[in-house]
Amino acid sequence: MNTTTMVNIKINGNDHQAPLNATILEACKRGGINIPTLCFMEDVSKNASCAVCVVEVKGAKSLLRSCTACVYDGMEIVTNSPRIRDARKTSVELLLANHPKDCLSCLRNQNCELQSLASDLGVKEERYVRTKKMEKCDTSSIAIHRDPNKCILCGRCISVCQNVQTVSAIGLSGRGIKSRISTYMEKGLGNVACTYCGQCALVCPTGAIVERDDTDSVFEEMSNPEKYVIVQTAPAVRVGIGEAMGMEPGSLVTGQMVAGLRKLGFKKVFDTQFTADLTILEEGYELIDRIRNNGKLPMITSCSPGWIKFAEHFFPDLLGHLSSCKSPQQMFGAVAKTYYAAKMEIDPRKIVVVSVMPCTAKKYEARRPEMRGAFDFWKDKRAWSSEDAFYDVDYVLTTRELARMFRETGIKFSSLPVEDFDHPLGASTGAAVIFGATGGVMEAALRTAYEVITGNPLADINFTAVRGMEGIKEAEVEMNGLKVKVAAAHTLKNARTLMEQIEKGESPYAFIEVMTCPGGCLGGGGQPIPTTWEIRKKRAESIYAEDANKPLRKSHENPAVQTLYTEFLKEPLGEMSHHLLHTRYRERGVFTWKTNENDPSMEKNNSFAAH
Amino acid sequence: MNATRSLAQELQEIDSVISKYKGKHGELLGILEESQLLNEHKFLSEEALNHVALKTGVPLSRVYNVVTFYSFFNLKPQGKHTITVCRGTACHTKGSRTLLGDLGLILNCKKELDEGEPFFTTPDNQFTVTTVACFGQCALAPVIAIDGIIYSNVTTSKLQMLVRRISKVRRIHEHH
Repeated sequence: MNTTTMVNIKINGNDHQAPLNATILEACKRGGINIPTLCFMEDVSKNASCAVCVVEVKGAKSLLRSCTACVYDGMEIVTNSPRIRDARKTSVELLLANHPKDCLSCLRNQNCELQSLASDLGVKEERYVRTKKMEKCDTSSIAIHRDPNKCILCGRCISVCQNVQTVSAIGLSGRGIKSRISTYMEKGLGNVACTYCGQCALVCPTGAIVERDDTDSVFEEMSNPEKYVIVQTAPAVRVGIGEAMGMEPGSLVTGQMVAGLRKLGFKKVFDTQFTADLTILEEGYELIDRIRNNGKLPMITSCSPGWIKFAEHFFPDLLGHLSSCKSPQQMFGAVAKTYYAAKMEIDPRKIVVVSVMPCTAKKYEARRPEMRGAFDFWKDKRAWSSEDAFYDVDYVLTTRELARMFRETGIKFSSLPVEDFDHPLGASTGAAVIFGATGGVMEAALRTAYEVITGNPLADINFTAVRGMEGIKEAEVEMNGLKVKVAAAHTLKNARTLMEQIEKGESPYAFIEVMTCPGGCLGGGGQPIPTTWEIRKKRAESIYAEDANKPLRKSHENPAVQTLYTEFLKEPLGEMSHHLLHTRYRERGVFTWKTNENDPSMEKNNSFAAH
Repeated sequence: MNATRSLAQELQEIDSVISKYKGKHGELLGILEESQLLNEHKFLSEEALNHVALKTGVPLSRVYNVVTFYSFFNLKPQGKHTITVCRGTACHTKGSRTLLGDLGLILNCKKELDEGEPFFTTPDNQFTVTTVACFGQCALAPVIAIDGIIYSNVTTSKLQMLVRRISKVRRIHEHH
């Protein structure tokens, strides 16, 4: 039963009902009436800063902003009149006065809310002159670039950073004409406690916050005949790239994506899901090891680089709880430049590993100084000097950047054939697919841990308790009489809640999954724009559909991973894994501009990595 | 001259300010205000802001938001004397922009003014020049304030004289 009090209102002369305390915007949406908005974003922000969503209300002294003004019984609303159209247009024209007119060379060209709003509202001339000084761009971060000149001060980025992620890397500074979005003391994103999650870029209505574009570098590498350029694709990209190419949200386009990547010119098209399965084995065994040997519990997943950076900044004392496993992206780079290079007899220095990720933080993860496992593996064997040094992963592209490369090369996505990944680093199970959704890593780990611990096959491999978009999900699993309580959290706000629980010594869990972005990787900061809850749900449906369609759905059953262990790694948590697949973390704190990224004294070894 | 306090001493004093305000409404504003007054040069250094953020748990970006919003807060060391030029409408029509420019010339800080920065401190830390939207003394325009004392009907020569007098460290009392 719906118990909310309904009120009677009039919209454009017609009778409507709306829940008491609903905003005018919500009430109109219910009634099928569309009001243009700009700064407003459902579940993210209603700052009422842009004055685009104004409506007339009978008896009101001025136009009201429908995103914040609430309905009352008998309210008479008009959403379309010459006065309203004029006011909306003027608001946009005033914003455009200080907005650079470089749309054609902007990363958000044709995907810009300001641009489309100007077009929708019939802006035909530049009526106002620029009043602000041009400002310097913030290119201090390896993942995210900011151009304050394009900013319209809608405040969405601040809301998402403060309220959804509880990071507060950016905030408003100054006032009046000097208002701007700033990092602390204008130090730049690269020098403050920013997790590079990219949610700010995902919600930005203009090109003021964008991913660092690496498409040109990748094109350049591919045209170098000396280089052997291979690509890996994360689970969430196959449910996002179709959307970025103009298909329906959530379109599952694994096969077309593979065909497209081959057409682009990658020598081999591999799958990060291969190393997602590998991660499950390493992480699963690490969990079992910690449970059996009184290791630090709860153990927390370490696949999400934004989350890792968050923990290093805000919970440096709890880093021992993080699994020492590298993320699937980094495991892939390390395996490709050792095992695969040796198997195919390719000089690892010539291999260029490109990742396609739904994530901006992955760009940063690939450049962490410790992520040179493959080089360390080879340097003594081949007597290489530091001049030969290379990273495990060379370039990281977001889903949006890949779409840009497809368009630049004239690849028509909808007409592409369906092709398979290359072997052996392209084989994966259903457990790896669901890494792209919140709760997925947990579910994949449980599928394997259960069978390893009990030795029995699972009756039902679907752990539905950890699926869905609830902020923190809990489940309890019994394995051989051992009851294990687990939790999965998405967004850093929810992660913070679980960390504070651990800080107080009140955490009831043995194992926690954290994904930085709302909805998990499928809602990542590198995914197509817009990303709304409705779209996230569609992407999640496709992820679980892909899992259900896979012939193998448990990571330990992946035959290519089994071969990798027999031929190369030998055993989970073995000597080789320790060097290539596990890592260490840094106690960063929040005053990061004072600390040196390469300072080894900040490193914190985790229980397994310390062996 | 007072002996310069060490940074550690200053941070310690900030600590006691923080504990005084703990749990009170509008805590951050009060802490920042008192912390600024504690400083010899009446400004909030980066170290002081870091310290306040660390001890109160307020995010750095929030602290920065507050100190850049209120004109009361200074992020740069302030001069021994503060000259405030009124830039309200009445003073503007009576030539207060020229007075501001004159101060740039008299104090040898023309560069800062040309860069569009209406706040500057002389390199010898003797004078800080700021502006204000209106003193409410429009009938006496143009007005300026030097260390809190308001001077009316200011002209370029009067300004020169006032600055010269202070430079000789003489206390000025003038009544109109």
